[in-house]
Amino acid sequence: MALCNENAPILVNEEAGCNIWLMTVAAPEIAAAARPGQFVHVRVPGMDDHILRRPLGIYVADAQAGTVDMMYQVLGFGTDRMTALVPGDAVELIGAIGRGWQPPAGCKRALVVAGGVGSAPLYPLVEELKASGAEVTAVLGASTIDALVARERYGAVLGCEPACSTDDGSFGRAGFCTPLVEEALAAAAAEGAPYDYVACCGPEPLMRIVAAMAADAGVFCEVSLERRMACGVGACLSCVVDTVAGKRRACVDGPVFPASEVVW
Amino acid sequence: MQRSPKETSVKLAVNLGGLAMKNPVTTASGTFGAGREYHDFVDVAALGAVTTKGVSLNGWEGNASPRIAETASGMLNSIGLQNPGVAHLKEVELPWLAERGATAMVNVSGHSFDEYVAVIEALEEAPVAAYEVNISCPNVDAGGMTMGCHGPSVEKVVSMCRAATKRPLIVKLTPNVTDVAEIARAAEAAGADAISLINTLLGMAIDARTRTPKLARVVGGFSGPAVKPVALRMVWQVAQAVKVPVLGMGGISTGEDAVEFMLAGATAVAVGTANFVNPTATVDVIDGVIDYCEEQGVADVNELIGALKC
Repeated sequence: MALCNENAPILVNEEAGCNIWLMTVAAPEIAAAARPGQFVHVRVPGMDDHILRRPLGIYVADAQAGTVDMMYQVLGFGTDRMTALVPGDAVELIGAIGRGWQPPAGCKRALVVAGGVGSAPLYPLVEELKASGAEVTAVLGASTIDALVARERYGAVLGCEPACSTDDGSFGRAGFCTPLVEEALAAAAAEGAPYDYVACCGPEPLMRIVAAMAADAGVFCEVSLERRMACGVGACLSCVVDTVAGKRRACVDGPVFPASEVVW
Repeated sequence: MQRSPKETSVKLAVNLGGLAMKNPVTTASGTFGAGREYHDFVDVAALGAVTTKGVSLNGWEGNASPRIAETASGMLNSIGLQNPGVAHLKEVELPWLAERGATAMVNVSGHSFDEYVAVIEALEEAPVAAYEVNISCPNVDAGGMTMGCHGPSVEKVVSMCRAATKRPLIVKLTPNVTDVAEIARAAEAAGADAISLINTLLGMAIDARTRTPKLARVVGGFSGPAVKPVALRMVWQVAQAVKVPVLGMGGISTGEDAVEFMLAGATAVAVGTANFVNPTATVDVIDGVIDYCEEQGVADVNELIGALKC
Protein backbone atom coordinates (compact mmCIF):
# COMPACT_ATOMS: atom_id res chain seq x y z
CA MET A 1 0.00 0.00 0.00
CA ALA A 2 1.43 3.31 -1.00
CA LEU A 3 2.20 5.78 1.73
CA CYS A 4 0.56 9.17 1.64
CA ASN A 5 1.06 12.46 3.42
CA GLU A 6 -2.38 13.66 4.41
CA ASN A 7 -3.33 17.04 5.78
CA ALA A 8 -5.70 15.91 8.50
CA PRO A 9 -8.18 18.30 10.11
CA ILE A 10 -8.62 17.65 13.83
CA LEU A 11 -12.15 16.64 14.82
CA VAL A 12 -11.59 15.82 18.49
CA ASN A 13 -8.65 16.38 20.85
CA GLU A 14 -9.41 15.63 24.48
CA GLU A 15 -7.73 14.36 27.59
CA ALA A 16 -9.03 10.87 28.30
CA GLY A 17 -7.37 10.74 31.70
CA CYS A 18 -4.05 10.92 33.47
CA ASN A 19 -2.17 12.88 30.82
CA ILE A 20 -3.36 10.54 28.09
CA TRP A 21 -5.13 12.22 25.19
CA LEU A 22 -7.24 11.06 22.30
CA MET A 23 -7.14 12.83 18.96
CA THR A 24 -9.51 12.07 16.09
CA VAL A 25 -8.60 13.43 12.67
CA ALA A 26 -10.12 13.23 9.22
CA ALA A 27 -7.65 11.26 7.12
CA PRO A 28 -9.67 9.15 4.68
CA GLU A 29 -6.77 7.68 2.69
CA ILE A 30 -4.89 6.51 5.77
CA ALA A 31 -8.13 5.32 7.43
CA ALA A 32 -8.81 3.15 4.39
CA ALA A 33 -5.29 1.78 4.18
CA ALA A 34 -4.49 1.15 7.84
CA ARG A 35 -3.81 -2.35 9.11
CA PRO A 36 -3.73 -3.28 12.81
CA GLY A 37 -0.41 -2.30 14.40
CA GLN A 38 0.58 0.33 11.86
CA PHE A 39 1.36 3.91 12.81
CA VAL A 40 1.26 7.46 11.51
CA HIS A 41 4.12 9.98 11.51
CA VAL A 42 2.69 13.26 12.73
CA ARG A 43 3.87 16.75 11.83
CA VAL A 44 2.58 18.97 14.59
CA PRO A 45 1.91 22.57 13.52
CA GLY A 46 3.28 25.55 15.38
CA MET A 47 6.56 24.04 16.55
CA ASP A 48 8.97 25.01 13.81
CA ASP A 49 11.96 24.86 16.13
CA HIS A 50 11.18 21.20 16.86
CA ILE A 51 11.46 19.95 13.34
CA LEU A 52 10.89 16.21 13.55
CA ARG A 53 7.61 14.38 13.24
CA ARG A 54 6.19 12.26 16.07
CA PRO A 55 5.31 8.59 15.44
CA LEU A 56 1.96 7.55 16.96
CA GLY A 57 0.26 4.18 16.81
CA ILE A 58 -3.13 4.02 15.12
CA TYR A 59 -5.81 3.34 17.74
CA VAL A 60 -8.95 3.24 15.61
CA ALA A 61 -9.05 3.60 11.84
CA ASP A 62 -12.61 4.00 10.61
CA ALA A 63 -12.54 3.54 6.84
CA GLN A 64 -16.23 4.41 6.45
CA ALA A 65 -16.05 7.63 8.42
CA GLY A 66 -12.58 8.40 7.03
CA THR A 67 -11.21 9.06 10.50
CA VAL A 68 -8.15 8.01 12.44
CA ASP A 69 -7.93 8.02 16.25
CA MET A 70 -4.58 8.36 17.99
CA MET A 71 -3.90 7.95 21.69
CA TYR A 72 -0.95 9.86 23.07
CA GLN A 73 0.67 10.32 26.42
CA VAL A 74 2.09 13.76 27.10
CA LEU A 75 5.79 13.08 27.53
CA GLY A 76 7.70 15.88 25.85
CA PHE A 77 7.52 19.07 23.85
CA GLY A 78 5.73 17.58 20.84
CA THR A 79 2.98 15.79 22.71
CA ASP A 80 2.57 18.79 25.02
CA ARG A 81 2.15 21.04 21.99
CA MET A 82 -0.42 18.60 20.58
CA THR A 83 -2.66 19.16 23.60
CA ALA A 84 -3.03 22.82 22.57
CA LEU A 85 -4.52 21.90 19.19
CA VAL A 86 -8.27 22.27 18.75
CA PRO A 87 -10.85 21.16 16.19
CA GLY A 88 -10.26 23.23 13.09
CA ASP A 89 -6.49 22.92 13.39
CA ALA A 90 -4.83 20.26 11.27
CA VAL A 91 -1.91 17.91 11.57
CA GLU A 92 0.01 16.37 8.68
CA LEU A 93 0.19 12.58 8.76
CA ILE A 94 2.35 10.17 6.82
CA GLY A 95 0.70 6.77 6.88
CA ALA A 96 -0.18 4.10 7.25
CA ILE A 97 3.36 2.97 8.03
CA GLY A 98 5.00 -0.30 8.89
CA ARG A 99 4.61 -4.00 9.40
CA GLY A 100 1.64 -4.48 11.70
CA TRP A 101 0.55 -7.48 13.76
CA GLN A 102 0.78 -10.77 11.90
CA PRO A 103 -0.99 -13.40 13.98
CA PRO A 104 -0.48 -16.98 12.79
CA ALA A 105 -2.95 -18.11 10.13
CA GLY A 106 -5.98 -19.70 11.71
CA CYS A 107 -5.18 -18.25 15.15
CA LYS A 108 -7.75 -19.70 17.57
CA ARG A 109 -6.77 -18.29 20.93
CA ALA A 110 -4.80 -15.10 21.46
CA LEU A 111 -3.46 -13.26 24.48
CA VAL A 112 -3.03 -9.53 24.09
CA VAL A 113 -0.97 -7.63 26.67
CA ALA A 114 -0.98 -3.83 26.77
CA GLY A 115 0.99 -1.55 29.05
CA GLY A 116 -0.23 2.05 29.24
CA VAL A 117 -0.86 3.62 25.84
CA GLY A 118 0.31 0.35 24.27
CA SER A 119 -3.40 -0.47 24.43
CA ALA A 120 -3.93 1.74 21.36
CA PRO A 121 -2.10 -0.18 18.58
CA LEU A 122 -3.34 -3.49 20.03
CA TYR A 123 -7.00 -2.51 19.89
CA PRO A 124 -7.46 -2.98 16.11
CA LEU A 125 -5.75 -6.37 16.43
CA VAL A 126 -8.31 -7.44 19.04
CA GLU A 127 -11.10 -6.31 16.71
CA GLU A 128 -9.61 -8.26 13.81
CA LEU A 129 -9.02 -11.43 15.85
CA LYS A 130 -12.55 -11.32 17.27
CA ALA A 131 -13.98 -10.84 13.79
CA SER A 132 -12.06 -13.89 12.59
CA GLY A 133 -13.64 -15.94 15.37
CA ALA A 134 -10.59 -16.26 17.63
CA GLU A 135 -10.96 -16.29 21.38
CA VAL A 136 -9.09 -13.30 22.79
CA THR A 137 -7.90 -12.58 26.31
CA ALA A 138 -6.76 -9.02 26.97
CA VAL A 139 -4.56 -7.87 29.82
CA LEU A 140 -4.33 -4.12 30.36
CA GLY A 141 -1.81 -2.64 32.76
CA ALA A 142 -1.65 1.01 33.75
CA SER A 143 -0.34 3.25 36.50
CA THR A 144 -3.77 4.05 37.91
CA ILE A 145 -7.48 3.69 37.14
CA ASP A 146 -7.70 6.94 35.17
CA ALA A 147 -4.96 5.75 32.84
CA LEU A 148 -6.99 2.69 31.76
CA VAL A 149 -8.52 4.80 29.01
CA ALA A 150 -9.15 1.95 26.55
CA ARG A 151 -10.81 -0.40 29.05
CA GLU A 152 -14.41 0.22 28.01
CA ARG A 153 -13.62 -0.06 24.35
CA TYR A 154 -11.82 -3.36 24.92
CA GLY A 155 -14.75 -4.57 27.01
CA ALA A 156 -17.19 -3.80 24.23
CA VAL A 157 -15.29 -5.68 21.54
CA LEU A 158 -14.35 -8.58 23.83
CA GLY A 159 -17.85 -8.94 25.25
CA CYS A 160 -16.30 -9.18 28.70
CA GLU A 161 -14.13 -7.11 31.01
CA PRO A 162 -10.41 -7.21 30.14
CA ALA A 163 -8.08 -8.33 32.93
CA CYS A 164 -6.65 -5.15 34.42
CA SER A 165 -3.90 -4.18 36.77
CA THR A 166 -2.87 -0.82 38.18
CA ASP A 167 0.42 0.02 39.81
CA ASP A 168 -1.36 1.80 42.66
CA GLY A 169 -4.12 -0.78 43.10
CA SER A 170 -6.89 1.68 42.23
CA PHE A 171 -8.44 -0.81 39.80
CA GLY A 172 -7.99 -4.52 39.13
CA ARG A 173 -4.94 -6.37 40.37
CA ALA A 174 -2.46 -4.21 42.28
CA GLY A 175 1.02 -4.06 40.80
CA PHE A 176 2.36 -4.88 37.37
CA CYS A 177 0.32 -6.81 34.84
CA THR A 178 2.88 -9.61 34.39
CA PRO A 179 1.30 -11.95 37.02
CA LEU A 180 -1.98 -11.72 35.08
CA VAL A 181 -0.12 -12.77 31.94
CA GLU A 182 1.52 -15.69 33.69
CA GLU A 183 -1.82 -16.82 35.12
CA ALA A 184 -3.55 -16.56 31.74
CA LEU A 185 -0.84 -18.63 30.04
CA ALA A 186 -0.97 -21.25 32.81
CA ALA A 187 -4.77 -21.43 32.84
CA ALA A 188 -4.97 -21.92 29.08
CA ALA A 189 -2.35 -24.66 29.23
CA ALA A 190 -4.19 -26.34 32.11
CA GLU A 191 -7.41 -26.26 30.08
CA GLY A 192 -5.60 -28.06 27.30
CA ALA A 193 -6.33 -25.16 24.98
CA PRO A 194 -3.12 -23.15 25.02
CA TYR A 195 -2.78 -19.78 23.31
CA ASP A 196 -1.34 -19.86 19.83
CA TYR A 197 -0.44 -16.15 19.79
CA VAL A 198 0.72 -13.50 22.24
CA ALA A 199 0.88 -9.83 21.22
CA CYS A 200 2.39 -7.21 23.48
CA CYS A 201 2.87 -3.45 23.31
CA GLY A 202 4.02 -1.29 26.18
CA PRO A 203 7.19 -0.31 28.01
CA GLU A 204 10.15 -2.32 26.73
CA PRO A 205 10.79 -4.15 30.06
CA LEU A 206 7.20 -5.39 29.98
CA MET A 207 7.58 -6.61 26.40
CA ARG A 208 10.82 -8.37 27.27
CA ILE A 209 9.22 -10.18 30.22
CA VAL A 210 6.08 -11.12 28.28
CA ALA A 211 8.22 -12.36 25.39
CA ALA A 212 10.15 -14.59 27.79
CA MET A 213 6.91 -15.93 29.32
CA ALA A 214 5.51 -16.69 25.89
CA ALA A 215 8.74 -18.40 24.86
CA ASP A 216 8.64 -20.53 28.03
CA ALA A 217 5.06 -21.49 27.21
CA GLY A 218 6.04 -22.24 23.62
CA VAL A 219 3.67 -19.62 22.20
CA PHE A 220 4.49 -17.41 19.18
CA CYS A 221 4.80 -13.82 20.35
CA GLU A 222 5.00 -10.45 18.65
CA VAL A 223 6.00 -7.12 20.17
CA SER A 224 5.68 -3.54 18.89
CA LEU A 225 8.87 -1.54 19.35
CA GLU A 226 9.38 2.19 19.61
CA ARG A 227 12.55 4.07 18.72
CA ARG A 228 13.55 7.67 18.12
CA MET A 229 12.62 8.21 14.51
CA ALA A 230 13.36 10.83 11.88
CA CYS A 231 12.01 10.05 8.40
CA GLY A 232 9.48 7.30 9.22
CA VAL A 233 9.74 5.87 5.71
CA GLY A 234 12.86 3.72 5.94
CA ALA A 235 15.45 6.11 4.57
CA CYS A 236 17.39 7.55 7.50
CA LEU A 237 18.20 4.43 9.58
CA SER A 238 17.69 6.32 12.84
CA CYS A 239 15.22 3.89 14.39
CA VAL A 240 17.05 0.60 14.03
CA VAL A 241 16.36 -2.34 16.32
CA ASP A 242 18.93 -5.04 17.08
CA THR A 243 17.60 -8.34 15.78
CA VAL A 244 19.03 -11.78 15.11
CA ALA A 245 19.16 -10.69 11.45
CA GLY A 246 21.14 -7.53 12.28
CA LYS A 247 19.87 -3.99 12.58
CA ARG A 248 16.33 -3.58 11.23
CA ARG A 249 14.28 -0.40 10.89
CA ALA A 250 11.49 -0.01 13.46
CA CYS A 251 9.54 2.14 11.00
CA VAL A 252 9.17 -0.10 7.97
CA ASP A 253 10.64 -3.49 8.97
CA GLY A 254 8.58 -3.11 12.20
CA PRO A 255 7.22 -1.67 14.37
CA VAL A 256 5.89 -5.16 15.09
CA PHE A 257 8.56 -7.85 15.24
CA PRO A 258 8.39 -11.52 16.20
CA ALA A 259 9.73 -11.44 19.77
CA SER A 260 12.11 -14.31 19.00
CA GLU A 261 13.94 -12.08 16.50
CA VAL A 262 14.56 -9.22 18.91
CA VAL A 263 17.91 -9.00 20.68
CA TRP A 264 16.80 -7.40 23.97
CA MET B 1 0.13 11.34 -4.50
CA GLN B 2 3.52 11.31 -6.30
CA ARG B 3 4.62 14.87 -6.97
CA SER B 4 6.59 16.35 -9.85
CA PRO B 5 7.73 19.94 -10.24
CA LYS B 6 5.40 22.43 -11.90
CA GLU B 7 5.62 23.38 -15.57
CA THR B 8 7.73 26.44 -16.29
CA SER B 9 9.50 28.29 -19.07
CA VAL B 10 12.42 29.04 -16.73
CA LYS B 11 15.55 27.18 -17.85
CA LEU B 12 16.48 24.98 -14.91
CA ALA B 13 19.26 22.75 -16.26
CA VAL B 14 22.71 23.11 -14.73
CA ASN B 15 26.02 21.36 -15.23
CA LEU B 16 27.85 20.32 -12.10
CA GLY B 17 31.38 19.51 -13.21
CA GLY B 18 30.22 17.33 -16.08
CA LEU B 19 27.09 16.05 -14.36
CA ALA B 20 24.12 17.25 -16.40
CA MET B 21 21.22 17.98 -14.05
CA LYS B 22 17.72 18.80 -15.34
CA ASN B 23 17.32 21.17 -12.41
CA PRO B 24 19.69 22.25 -9.65
CA VAL B 25 18.20 20.12 -6.88
CA THR B 26 19.51 16.79 -5.61
CA THR B 27 19.23 14.97 -2.30
CA ALA B 28 21.78 15.05 0.50
CA SER B 29 23.33 11.65 0.92
CA GLY B 30 21.83 9.62 3.76
CA THR B 31 18.54 11.47 3.88
CA PHE B 32 16.82 9.87 0.90
CA GLY B 33 17.91 6.22 0.94
CA ALA B 34 18.39 5.31 -2.69
CA GLY B 35 15.20 7.08 -3.72
CA ARG B 36 12.83 4.15 -3.38
CA GLU B 37 11.77 5.15 0.14
CA TYR B 38 10.37 8.44 -1.19
CA HIS B 39 8.87 7.04 -4.38
CA ASP B 40 5.31 7.31 -3.01
CA PHE B 41 5.85 11.05 -2.56
CA VAL B 42 8.06 12.32 -5.37
CA ASP B 43 8.99 11.31 -8.90
CA VAL B 44 12.68 10.54 -8.48
CA ALA B 45 13.28 11.11 -12.20
CA ALA B 46 12.14 14.72 -11.81
CA LEU B 47 15.01 15.58 -9.48
CA GLY B 48 18.30 17.02 -10.75
CA ALA B 49 19.86 13.88 -9.32
CA VAL B 50 19.28 11.36 -6.57
CA THR B 51 22.34 11.17 -4.34
CA THR B 52 22.32 7.78 -2.69
CA LYS B 53 23.20 6.88 0.89
CA GLY B 54 26.95 6.45 1.52
CA VAL B 55 28.10 3.03 0.40
CA SER B 56 31.15 1.05 1.43
CA LEU B 57 32.64 -2.08 -0.08
CA ASN B 58 31.21 -4.79 2.16
CA GLY B 59 28.54 -3.08 4.20
CA TRP B 60 28.65 -1.61 7.70
CA GLU B 61 26.45 -2.20 10.75
CA GLY B 62 26.52 1.42 11.83
CA ASN B 63 26.45 2.77 15.37
CA ALA B 64 24.53 1.83 18.51
CA SER B 65 21.17 3.45 19.38
CA PRO B 66 20.00 6.05 20.17
CA ARG B 67 21.21 7.42 16.88
CA ILE B 68 19.36 10.75 16.72
CA ALA B 69 18.39 13.64 18.94
CA GLU B 70 16.22 16.62 18.15
CA THR B 71 17.81 20.00 18.88
CA ALA B 72 16.65 23.59 18.42
CA SER B 73 15.73 23.92 14.72
CA GLY B 74 17.81 20.89 13.87
CA MET B 75 18.87 17.42 14.78
CA LEU B 76 21.91 15.33 15.56
CA ASN B 77 22.53 11.98 13.93
CA SER B 78 25.02 9.27 14.54
CA ILE B 79 23.99 6.59 12.07
CA GLY B 80 27.55 5.61 11.28
CA LEU B 81 27.10 4.99 7.55
CA GLN B 82 25.11 1.79 8.02
CA ASN B 83 24.80 0.29 4.54
CA PRO B 84 24.49 -3.14 2.97
CA GLY B 85 27.56 -2.78 0.75
CA VAL B 86 28.18 -1.84 -2.86
CA ALA B 87 26.88 -5.10 -4.37
CA HIS B 88 23.36 -4.44 -3.08
CA LEU B 89 23.45 -0.89 -4.43
CA LYS B 90 24.64 -2.14 -7.80
CA GLU B 91 22.26 -5.05 -8.12
CA VAL B 92 19.09 -3.64 -6.55
CA GLU B 93 19.01 0.11 -6.05
CA LEU B 94 20.81 1.49 -9.10
CA PRO B 95 18.80 -0.61 -11.60
CA TRP B 96 15.62 0.58 -9.86
CA LEU B 97 16.69 4.22 -10.27
CA ALA B 98 17.74 3.59 -13.88
CA GLU B 99 14.38 2.00 -14.75
CA ARG B 100 12.67 5.16 -13.56
CA GLY B 101 14.95 7.42 -15.53
CA ALA B 102 16.55 8.97 -12.46
CA THR B 103 20.03 10.51 -12.50
CA ALA B 104 22.06 8.68 -9.86
CA MET B 105 24.94 10.18 -7.93
CA VAL B 106 26.56 7.64 -5.61
CA ASN B 107 28.04 8.76 -2.32
CA VAL B 108 31.20 6.67 -1.85
CA SER B 109 32.56 5.84 1.60
CA GLY B 110 35.49 3.85 2.89
CA HIS B 111 37.61 3.07 5.94
CA SER B 112 40.79 3.32 3.87
CA PHE B 113 42.07 4.99 0.70
CA ASP B 114 41.88 1.66 -1.10
CA GLU B 115 38.26 1.07 -0.09
CA TYR B 116 37.08 4.27 -1.80
CA VAL B 117 38.79 3.14 -4.99
CA ALA B 118 37.37 -0.37 -4.68
CA VAL B 119 33.82 0.98 -4.36
CA ILE B 120 34.25 3.13 -7.47
CA GLU B 121 35.76 0.23 -9.41
CA ALA B 122 32.80 -1.96 -8.41
CA LEU B 123 30.41 0.62 -9.89
CA GLU B 124 32.12 1.53 -13.15
CA GLU B 125 29.78 -0.69 -15.18
CA ALA B 126 26.68 0.40 -13.24
CA PRO B 127 24.25 3.19 -14.21
CA VAL B 128 25.94 5.93 -12.19
CA ALA B 129 26.07 9.53 -13.44
CA ALA B 130 28.57 10.82 -10.86
CA TYR B 131 30.38 9.93 -7.67
CA GLU B 132 30.40 11.95 -4.49
CA VAL B 133 33.44 11.08 -2.41
CA ASN B 134 32.47 11.21 1.25
CA ILE B 135 35.49 12.40 3.21
CA SER B 136 33.30 14.20 5.71
CA CYS B 137 31.12 11.84 7.74
CA PRO B 138 31.69 12.69 11.42
CA ASN B 139 30.24 9.40 12.70
CA VAL B 140 32.88 6.83 11.79
CA ASP B 141 36.25 6.11 13.39
CA ALA B 142 38.16 5.59 10.15
CA GLY B 143 37.72 7.28 6.80
CA GLY B 144 35.05 9.98 6.57
CA MET B 145 35.89 13.19 8.36
CA THR B 146 39.23 11.87 9.64
CA MET B 147 40.41 11.95 6.02
CA GLY B 148 38.71 15.20 5.09
CA CYS B 149 40.35 17.40 7.73
CA HIS B 150 43.88 16.96 6.47
CA GLY B 151 45.01 18.47 3.16
CA PRO B 152 47.50 15.75 2.16
CA SER B 153 44.96 12.96 2.92
CA VAL B 154 42.36 14.78 0.83
CA GLU B 155 44.79 15.05 -2.08
CA LYS B 156 45.71 11.38 -1.80
CA VAL B 157 42.16 9.95 -1.69
CA VAL B 158 40.87 12.28 -4.40
CA SER B 159 43.85 11.51 -6.68
CA MET B 160 43.30 7.78 -6.24
CA CYS B 161 39.55 8.10 -6.97
CA ARG B 162 40.33 10.36 -9.93
CA ALA B 163 42.59 7.68 -11.40
CA ALA B 164 39.79 5.12 -11.01
CA THR B 165 37.10 6.90 -13.02
CA LYS B 166 36.43 9.37 -15.79
CA ARG B 167 32.96 10.08 -14.46
CA PRO B 168 32.25 13.38 -12.70
CA LEU B 169 33.90 13.25 -9.30
CA ILE B 170 32.41 15.43 -6.59
CA VAL B 171 34.19 15.68 -3.26
CA LYS B 172 32.05 16.27 -0.18
CA LEU B 173 33.72 18.33 2.52
CA THR B 174 33.26 18.61 6.24
CA PRO B 175 32.66 21.97 7.91
CA ASN B 176 34.66 20.75 10.92
CA VAL B 177 37.92 22.33 9.78
CA THR B 178 39.75 25.57 10.41
CA ASP B 179 39.96 26.59 6.76
CA VAL B 180 37.49 24.94 4.42
CA ALA B 181 38.88 26.83 1.41
CA GLU B 182 42.26 25.17 1.86
CA ILE B 183 40.68 21.70 1.88
CA ALA B 184 38.59 22.61 -1.19
CA ARG B 185 41.72 23.71 -3.05
CA ALA B 186 43.41 20.42 -2.15
CA ALA B 187 40.46 18.49 -3.60
CA GLU B 188 40.45 20.62 -6.73
CA ALA B 189 44.19 20.21 -7.22
CA ALA B 190 43.79 16.43 -6.97
CA GLY B 191 41.24 16.36 -9.77
CA ALA B 192 37.81 16.94 -8.24
CA ASP B 193 35.22 18.06 -10.81
CA ALA B 194 33.09 19.73 -8.15
CA ILE B 195 32.98 20.33 -4.42
CA SER B 196 29.95 19.59 -2.27
CA LEU B 197 29.43 20.97 1.22
CA ILE B 198 28.57 21.03 4.00
CA ASN B 199 28.39 17.64 5.64
CA THR B 200 27.09 17.81 9.22
CA LEU B 201 28.68 19.84 11.99
CA LEU B 202 30.05 17.82 14.86
CA GLY B 203 27.73 18.38 17.79
CA MET B 204 26.43 16.96 21.03
CA ALA B 205 23.29 16.89 23.16
CA ILE B 206 22.95 16.08 26.86
CA ASP B 207 19.96 15.10 28.97
CA ALA B 208 20.47 17.12 32.13
CA ARG B 209 18.03 15.01 34.17
CA THR B 210 19.78 11.72 33.53
CA ARG B 211 23.21 13.34 33.06
CA THR B 212 23.75 11.21 29.98
CA PRO B 213 24.48 12.02 26.34
CA LYS B 214 21.43 11.81 24.07
CA LEU B 215 23.40 9.86 21.46
CA ALA B 216 24.93 6.46 22.16
CA ARG B 217 28.15 7.56 20.45
CA VAL B 218 28.04 10.80 22.52
CA VAL B 219 28.76 13.08 19.54
CA GLY B 220 27.04 13.25 16.17
CA GLY B 221 26.39 15.30 13.06
CA PHE B 222 24.26 18.43 13.40
CA SER B 223 21.92 19.32 10.53
CA GLY B 224 18.68 21.09 9.73
CA PRO B 225 17.62 24.74 9.41
CA ALA B 226 19.88 25.77 12.31
CA VAL B 227 23.06 25.11 10.29
CA LYS B 228 22.10 27.14 7.23
CA PRO B 229 24.10 30.29 8.08
CA VAL B 230 27.28 28.23 8.58
CA ALA B 231 26.65 26.33 5.35
CA LEU B 232 26.01 29.49 3.36
CA ARG B 233 29.20 31.08 4.65
CA MET B 234 31.28 28.03 3.73
CA VAL B 235 29.71 27.67 0.29
CA TRP B 236 30.47 31.33 -0.36
CA GLN B 237 34.09 30.91 0.81
CA VAL B 238 34.68 27.79 -1.26
CA ALA B 239 33.02 29.19 -4.37
CA GLN B 240 35.52 32.03 -4.24
CA ALA B 241 38.47 29.71 -3.57
CA VAL B 242 38.04 27.18 -6.41
CA LYS B 243 37.22 27.24 -10.12
CA VAL B 244 35.18 24.03 -10.09
CA PRO B 245 31.45 24.23 -9.39
CA VAL B 246 29.98 23.84 -5.92
CA LEU B 247 27.06 21.74 -4.73
CA GLY B 248 25.68 23.58 -1.70
CA MET B 249 23.71 22.10 1.16
CA GLY B 250 22.93 22.62 4.82
CA GLY B 251 19.48 23.48 6.15
CA ILE B 252 17.72 23.92 2.81
CA SER B 253 13.97 23.42 3.09
CA THR B 254 12.48 26.01 0.72
CA GLY B 255 13.10 27.33 -2.77
CA GLU B 256 14.31 30.60 -1.32
CA ASP B 257 16.89 28.74 0.79
CA ALA B 258 18.13 27.09 -2.42
CA VAL B 259 18.31 30.44 -4.21
CA GLU B 260 20.43 31.86 -1.38
CA PHE B 261 22.97 29.04 -1.82
CA MET B 262 23.10 29.68 -5.57
CA LEU B 263 23.60 33.41 -5.00
CA ALA B 264 26.47 32.48 -2.66
CA GLY B 265 28.07 30.58 -5.54
CA ALA B 266 26.50 27.11 -5.64
CA THR B 267 25.71 25.65 -9.07
CA ALA B 268 23.34 23.13 -7.52
CA VAL B 269 21.92 22.35 -4.10
CA ALA B 270 20.95 19.35 -2.02
CA VAL B 271 17.95 18.89 0.24
CA GLY B 272 18.69 16.80 3.32
CA THR B 273 17.06 16.90 6.74
CA ALA B 274 14.02 18.65 5.25
CA ASN B 275 13.05 15.32 3.65
CA PHE B 276 12.39 13.95 7.14
CA VAL B 277 10.04 16.80 7.93
CA ASN B 278 8.34 17.01 4.58
CA PRO B 279 8.56 14.02 2.24
CA THR B 280 7.95 16.23 -0.82
CA ALA B 281 10.62 18.74 0.22
CA THR B 282 12.75 18.11 -2.90
CA VAL B 283 9.91 18.95 -5.29
CA ASP B 284 8.75 21.82 -3.08
CA VAL B 285 12.26 23.30 -3.28
CA ILE B 286 12.29 23.00 -7.09
CA ASP B 287 8.85 24.63 -7.26
CA GLY B 288 10.08 27.37 -4.96
CA VAL B 289 13.09 28.05 -7.19
CA ILE B 290 10.73 28.27 -10.18
CA ASP B 291 8.46 30.68 -8.30
CA TYR B 292 11.42 32.87 -7.40
CA CYS B 293 12.72 32.93 -10.96
CA GLU B 294 9.29 33.74 -12.38
CA GLU B 295 8.75 36.51 -9.85
CA GLN B 296 12.22 37.97 -10.35
CA GLY B 297 12.25 37.67 -14.13
CA VAL B 298 15.10 35.15 -14.11
CA ALA B 299 14.97 33.26 -17.43
CA ASP B 300 17.76 30.80 -16.64
CA VAL B 301 18.62 29.53 -13.19
CA ASN B 302 22.32 29.74 -14.09
CA GLU B 303 21.97 33.53 -13.79
CA LEU B 304 21.70 33.07 -10.03
CA ILE B 305 25.05 31.33 -9.54
CA GLY B 306 27.35 33.66 -7.62
CA ALA B 307 25.03 36.62 -8.27
CA LEU B 308 25.34 37.85 -4.70
CA LYS B 309 25.72 41.62 -4.60
CA CYS B 310 28.48 42.51 -2.18
